[in-house]
Amino acid sequence: MKAEYQHLRKIKSFKTRGEVPRFLHSEDLNPEYLSFHEDLDLIDTRLAEVKQILRNVELIKMPPKDRRNIVNLGAKVLIEVDGQRDEFQIVGSLEANPSAGKISNESPVGMALLGHHVGEEIDISSPVKVIYKIKRITYLS
Amino acid sequence: MKNTLDFFLAVGKLKGKQRRGWIVHGLKNSESTAEHIFRMAILAWVLGNKKKLNMEKVIKMALIHDICEVYAPDLTPYDPLLPKNPKDPKNIKKILSKWPKFSLAEKRKRVLKKCEKEMRGLNKLVSELPSKLRVEIKNLWLDFEKGLSPEGRFVKQIDKAENLLQGLEYWETQGKIQRNLWGRWAKEIFDDPVILEFVQTLDKRFIKRKKK
Repeated sequence: MKAEYQHLRKIKSFKTRGEVPRFLHSEDLNPEYLSFHEDLDLIDTRLAEVKQILRNVELIKMPPKDRRNIVNLGAKVLIEVDGQRDEFQIVGSLEANPSAGKISNESPVGMALLGHHVGEEIDISSPVKVIYKIKRITYLS
Repeated sequence: MKNTLDFFLAVGKLKGKQRRGWIVHGLKNSESTAEHIFRMAILAWVLGNKKKLNMEKVIKMALIHDICEVYAPDLTPYDPLLPKNPKDPKNIKKILSKWPKFSLAEKRKRVLKKCEKEMRGLNKLVSELPSKLRVEIKNLWLDFEKGLSPEGRFVKQIDKAENLLQGLEYWETQGKIQRNLWGRWAKEIFDDPVILEFVQTLDKRFIKRKKK
């Protein structure tokens, strides 16, 4: 996220320093200017959000060795459910992307798995009973 | 104005484009992409009102989130598993009875590939639009796709919530949908409190009622 922040700042500075289209035409008529301006809006919005996130960020630390068999934020979890194995990573809400295997810690499954060990079975019924069995937990070093 | 008309004509094709996920399930008279977009925009507006969001952005985002499908393929998570011969219902039924599973690396690769294809489709679709509009649509789509803002993250989940609602309606009227799989999926993908409340309401309306 720090890298994204720096990158956005670089783009913004580049755009505002040297690449501003000249105001030879009025703003309404110069499509290049309009495009540039819209881009800046998006950059500014994202910059503000990333800045806010960085201000409140709490880095996920690798847990000590004796706690690496417990599901925590950042854990990659291999589970067995309905006879099928699946793998996902538990992340914070801002980072979540279930299609890419990143499950939010605030989703019902993410929340229920937190704090559990390898071998434990967790019942996530509502309304249909579903058992998630934790097969493996890994953390990226 | 001619280019704008061409854009309207192209987007209009989504009215008749049936969503592939439902076709794969063998559902009759299944919805088109435009129909999905219509109700999703309503969901986004009504449920979004319970949150502090920029509603103009939310509704615009819902309206454009799938327009890339005029040119991009409508991909489903089952695609890599489906047989080349689509007239093999037994095999297809067996594949659909389980949720498609991939490794973390495969999931990420598939998401990236899908995003690239859709972005190419979107670029082609909006290429002749006036610059300001073109940039706005592209930015809204990117925000939705990557979840860059609270609005983007909310609309992304609303897209899935509309899909879930439609799936449950088909399950109730035509069967053919593995509702247990969908229920499980919902518990993994949603984390927005308003949408979670909506999912609970769906459970009560569809699943608990049918059990009686």
